[in-house]
Amino acid sequence: MNKARYFGPSLTNLSLRWLLTLTLAMVLPASAFAEEKSAAYWLEQLGPALNMTSYRGVFVYARGSSVHSMQIAHRFHNGIVEERLVLQDGGSGEIVRRDMNVVCVLPEQGKVRLDQVIPSGPFAEAFASQLIPVSRWYSAELKGEDRIAGYDVITVALTAKDRHRYSHRLWLEKSTGLLVKSHVRAAGGEVLEHFQFTSLEITDDIPDGELEIRTEGREVSRTLGDAGQRLGSQDGLSKASRMHGWHLGWRPEGFEPAAAPMSGNGQTVAFSDGLAAFSVFVESAGRVSMPTGATRIGATTIYMHQLQSGNQAVLVTVVGEIPPAAARQVAESVQVNEAFISGASEP
Amino acid sequence: MDDRLRETLSAMMDDEADELSVRRLLSHEGQDDVRAQWQRWQGIHDLMHRGHSPAEGVDVSVAVREALDGRIRSQVPAVSLSCEAPRRWQWPAVAMVAVALLVGFGAGAGWDAGEVSPGALASAPVTETSDAESAGNVSAGERAPVQEVALQGLDEEQWEHMSRYLLEHAQHNSVGAGQGSVGYARLVSANGGY
Repeated sequence: MNKARYFGPSLTNLSLRWLLTLTLAMVLPASAFAEEKSAAYWLEQLGPALNMTSYRGVFVYARGSSVHSMQIAHRFHNGIVEERLVLQDGGSGEIVRRDMNVVCVLPEQGKVRLDQVIPSGPFAEAFASQLIPVSRWYSAELKGEDRIAGYDVITVALTAKDRHRYSHRLWLEKSTGLLVKSHVRAAGGEVLEHFQFTSLEITDDIPDGELEIRTEGREVSRTLGDAGQRLGSQDGLSKASRMHGWHLGWRPEGFEPAAAPMSGNGQTVAFSDGLAAFSVFVESAGRVSMPTGATRIGATTIYMHQLQSGNQAVLVTVVGEIPPAAARQVAESVQVNEAFISGASEP
Repeated sequence: MDDRLRETLSAMMDDEADELSVRRLLSHEGQDDVRAQWQRWQGIHDLMHRGHSPAEGVDVSVAVREALDGRIRSQVPAVSLSCEAPRRWQWPAVAMVAVALLVGFGAGAGWDAGEVSPGALASAPVTETSDAESAGNVSAGERAPVQEVALQGLDEEQWEHMSRYLLEHAQHNSVGAGQGSVGYARLVSANGGY
């Protein structure tokens, strides 16, 4: 008797039975779920969940042809956010944040000095920006549920209502609202950027040891919030003073000035519509000559534009998750005045 | 042993076999074959689950027969069966997980880049998207297309300059726009992207 022959068909029968059970298990909660919470409810969860959920895991981030994976431990304890990210590929490096303190140990492969780059901006205003009603600029729709990294998730599609922003799709964990996967999509449906946890554990049990720096290397640390003090007072955060010497003639509706991390030269403003963001950099074009036009890396557009003010060339750069045409329109609307030129000439 | 008997045997492993079928299996003349098949499957299941095979040489046919007879006589499940069942026949749950994994990856549940959910094609946002697109086309018709700058065409100094902007923007995202790890991912991607 050929016993091997018997095992095959019977195993198929077994598998079919499980498959049926599995299918039923997946379909039943989906129909029950439809009556529950709205897309707006889930969007409200998004901002707080990102900070106030404690979890550990590994996520991948893909844009264009590049894919990166990072390990993350995130803890919200006694009102303080602590976070440690470890690069999983390329050079070794990590980013550790405890409340307002950020320490980076990044590989030396980059040509960029990170100490110029680590943010310096007050968080309070940043979190307030989450209250911008996303649904005014995107039509939100529940797309059902799925399972990501071992967790049940609901899918929310946010379709841009105008051509100045991209559409998004978010996968949020059902019990906490934590973002576990996201897509940024062009109008044609093309996925420009993909973020996703591949392993995830939502737990309050994250020991201190998991949030300490372990990589050897050049450490760069910065206390967030310095910029506000440098400006003198909280009033310094007003839009007018951040756009010192220049202003935007146009920006897509709904994009409001977000947190104001001041860069080295203090001429940067970030705008956010609650979901997408773009930054405008205005500086004297003395040192480097940049071409005019747009470059795209995944969902990020970089539009460079040079303008002449008096006898001074000014470089305007818009970087953000917005379509190239919108970035160009923003960049071309920048106007500088005398205050900028006199300020730019100072060291 | 025919297909029907094998089906019964597999159903027994799921604890789903009906009584008549089990009786037919037990009265089958080739009991050695049935036992060998059962032990082989049980061995595989135990190996999958516990890494060893306790079913080697065990004959459960007597216990099963007694259980059937006992249930008929007294409606009280036999001790031998009720004790054994949860421990030995729990493996289908493990197998279900394995199948779920296969289904997940096979169907691309987590890795599909451009899928459209069922129902999306018929729903309103698609119409709105095409509206936005056509509006974009009208606008594009009025204005010159956006000039593209190739990354490869930039010299080292220009690269550095642009990378700094990218990094700063990434930081705005992670901190300013409150996007947390997505922003950090953009940061790392910007830093390692050249």
